[in-house]
Amino acid sequence: MKSVVTTVIASADAAGRFPTTSDLESVQGSIQRAAARLEAAEKLGNNLDNVAREAYDACIKKYPYLNNDGEANSTQVFKDKCLRDIKHYMRLIQYSLIVGGTGPLDEWGIAGQREVYRALNLPTAPYVEALKFARNRGCAPRDMSAQALVEYNALLDYTINSLS
Amino acid sequence: MQDTFLEKQFKESEMLDAFSRSVVAADASTSTIDTEGLANLRKFVAEGNKRLDAVNAIASNASCMVSDAVAGMICENQGLIQAGGNCYPNRRMAACLRDAEIILRYVTYALLAGDSSVLDDRCLNGLKETYAALGVPTTSTVRAVQIMKAQAVAHINDTNEMYKGTGKYRQMGAIKGDCAAITAEAASYFDRVIAALS
Repeated sequence: MKSVVTTVIASADAAGRFPTTSDLESVQGSIQRAAARLEAAEKLGNNLDNVAREAYDACIKKYPYLNNDGEANSTQVFKDKCLRDIKHYMRLIQYSLIVGGTGPLDEWGIAGQREVYRALNLPTAPYVEALKFARNRGCAPRDMSAQALVEYNALLDYTINSLS
Repeated sequence: MQDTFLEKQFKESEMLDAFSRSVVAADASTSTIDTEGLANLRKFVAEGNKRLDAVNAIASNASCMVSDAVAGMICENQGLIQAGGNCYPNRRMAACLRDAEIILRYVTYALLAGDSSVLDDRCLNGLKETYAALGVPTTSTVRAVQIMKAQAVAHINDTNEMYKGTGKYRQMGAIKGDCAAITAEAASYFDRVIAALS
């Protein structure tokens, strides 16, 4: 899984050398920023269900046609699955906050995303709307510290870009 | 297509660090990282400088550690450098020094990552079988790794002593503190190598 540490080790290994001072500096830099990331991960993890629910409600409000017969949010089973998908993205964002890179989102969320949504005939715009709502909903210092919010929003933006 | 026996046995998995290890574990049950997991990672972050000092202590002394470990192994078993021994002639001694350095290097990577996956996948996976095929004696290899373990523990804690009758002496000079946890972790990676070879 790609992170600062694994990238440093992979390049040291490719050259067959021990970790150098500059390698250790890179790791130190990532560790210094870890406090904000872990704070965001903790706050998101503690409130993940509510965050996902609000984002889901916002996207259904913007695209009410999804409730029509035959559309993606028409039955209870479909509704549950839509909400589950938003929770899924939020969980992967939490993982990425922990790792300090986009590895979990890339490997478990974005890879194959387009193909799956096309195969299931799902529109991507509502996902974007849900994540955009979450992107604008976070507030410092109410929800988390300013630096933590920066890290959290960056990953939401990354996910939105992957869908648009 | 079906994997052959060897491919199955030596299947490569991806390199993880302490952070991605907890993420992979949480993903297996589609749960978020809980408070306990976060507390462990915060501890990893808080003790980060100790870890970097420990990695530096090994990396800075690597060539000395390797040659001393191999020399110590031979000192205890002179048969290795007599005709028919596994460190005779120089060509085979050189291969031995190279291998000791490789093992020490992967232990250092594991210590930096805070996770043994890189050591397991890229160094230990299949090593025992390779050495068996090449006729490398296990007891001697294990002895060299044990010496490197003692050296690493001494360098991390700056407890190495002056060699009798000489001025040969190496101190890292980092501020002294409680390094019990990082020392135990470093020792555990050497033990992992020993277990994989035995």
